[in-house]
Amino acid sequence: MDKAETEAIRKVLTGDRDAYRVLMDRHFCSVYRVAFRITGNEADAEEAAQEAFLRAYNKLPSFRQDSAFSTWITRIAMNTAINLVERRNRDLSYHAPRIADEPSPDGITVTVAATSKQSPESVLLDSEAASLRRAAMDTLTPMERTAFTLRHMEDLPIAEIAAALNVPANSAKQAVFRAVGKLRRSLAPLAGGVQ
Amino acid sequence: MRHFTEEELIAYQLHETADEQAIHRHLESCSECAALSDSIAETLRVFSADPVPEPDLDRNWQRLRGNLSVLTPESRRGWTHILAWPAAGLATAALVVLAFIGIHAHISAKPNFAVNGHGPLTTQPVDPAIAKHIDAAERLLTEVNNTQGPLDNVTRDQTRALLLTNAVYVRQARSSGDLAEASVLENLGRVLTTLDNEPPTHESAWRLRIEMNTNGLLFDLRVLRQNDTQPQHPGPTQALTQGLTQ
Repeated sequence: MDKAETEAIRKVLTGDRDAYRVLMDRHFCSVYRVAFRITGNEADAEEAAQEAFLRAYNKLPSFRQDSAFSTWITRIAMNTAINLVERRNRDLSYHAPRIADEPSPDGITVTVAATSKQSPESVLLDSEAASLRRAAMDTLTPMERTAFTLRHMEDLPIAEIAAALNVPANSAKQAVFRAVGKLRRSLAPLAGGVQ
Repeated sequence: MRHFTEEELIAYQLHETADEQAIHRHLESCSECAALSDSIAETLRVFSADPVPEPDLDRNWQRLRGNLSVLTPESRRGWTHILAWPAAGLATAALVVLAFIGIHAHISAKPNFAVNGHGPLTTQPVDPAIAKHIDAAERLLTEVNNTQGPLDNVTRDQTRALLLTNAVYVRQARSSGDLAEASVLENLGRVLTTLDNEPPTHESAWRLRIEMNTNGLLFDLRVLRQNDTQPQHPGPTQALTQGLTQ
């Protein structure tokens, strides 16, 4: 951990809340990124990242400064994001269709807005592909999703993922393999059947 | 020819296998495994990293800052903390010895009729309204005991309401001659008064929690509540305490 971070932590521990901004500026984006990979959407990623930073702040007096703050906060963020995903899965109403605050006027239909660069067909195909990917990702457990996204999308080593998830390296690796297998089978109908 | 499993091929595609060369050679000659490997590669391609939107740092900081409490330096950890655990162990052992002596001295002493009345160490039934009051007090004290920082407004309001009803029940217990219950409720009243007047600082809340832990008020309340909710049959604790007082 570099001098600026050590100094920021020292200041926070002597009552200077604003010194925490230094740590947030340096690590919020990477923490948010990890949370986004696990939760799959911006709002939950932001909530998880915020909660992780708040929990880290409250635990700062017990933080052993011989380890990196980035590793520590990432670990907290992963757990927070996984807990959030599990909470969302339990809360069935969260996935229910939302009713608009204002009723639509009669005769008005919802249209898919096409960007200037894309045709409406291409927008529709993209959104269909995205929804298929989302559905496939939903078949994964939070652990599988975390292990897969961090290994495949963030290119983190298995050892780091295992440490963050507090599981043996082999369990993390198996979770990644299971995830890829499940995703492949989810997409198989599109490709003409599972082999 | 031995075919590779899906798991082995996934490990190969993710570069997590030790014998990458062997699998590579096999895939060149085995169309079946090559098709499976291609399917895995396609899956990984489909789920390749989508761009992550940039978070708004300022907005997030403003939201977070509102929730940050001012931290105070951790208590100084010099050489004294090394002796903390042995000292705690010795203190616990001393307490156990004192309790043992106290129990034996209590058994040999004459019965205390004042305590063996309608209070926490008896099986006598009492008013269910008091049971409800004690239950609410116990929940409040447990919550305060497990919360860090100053009390919030809701807890303060509950404290004030309990304080008012507690005064009524203290008087009721005294007038009915239930001295043990009156004693516990008076003790509760003192703690509630302290809570009600507590200034919003960390230190005072901490001291109060220590005080509550030390004087065993929560334990007394639990025994009292048990008496109130199970008046018909004496429980093991009641039977034991009854035996000790005789």
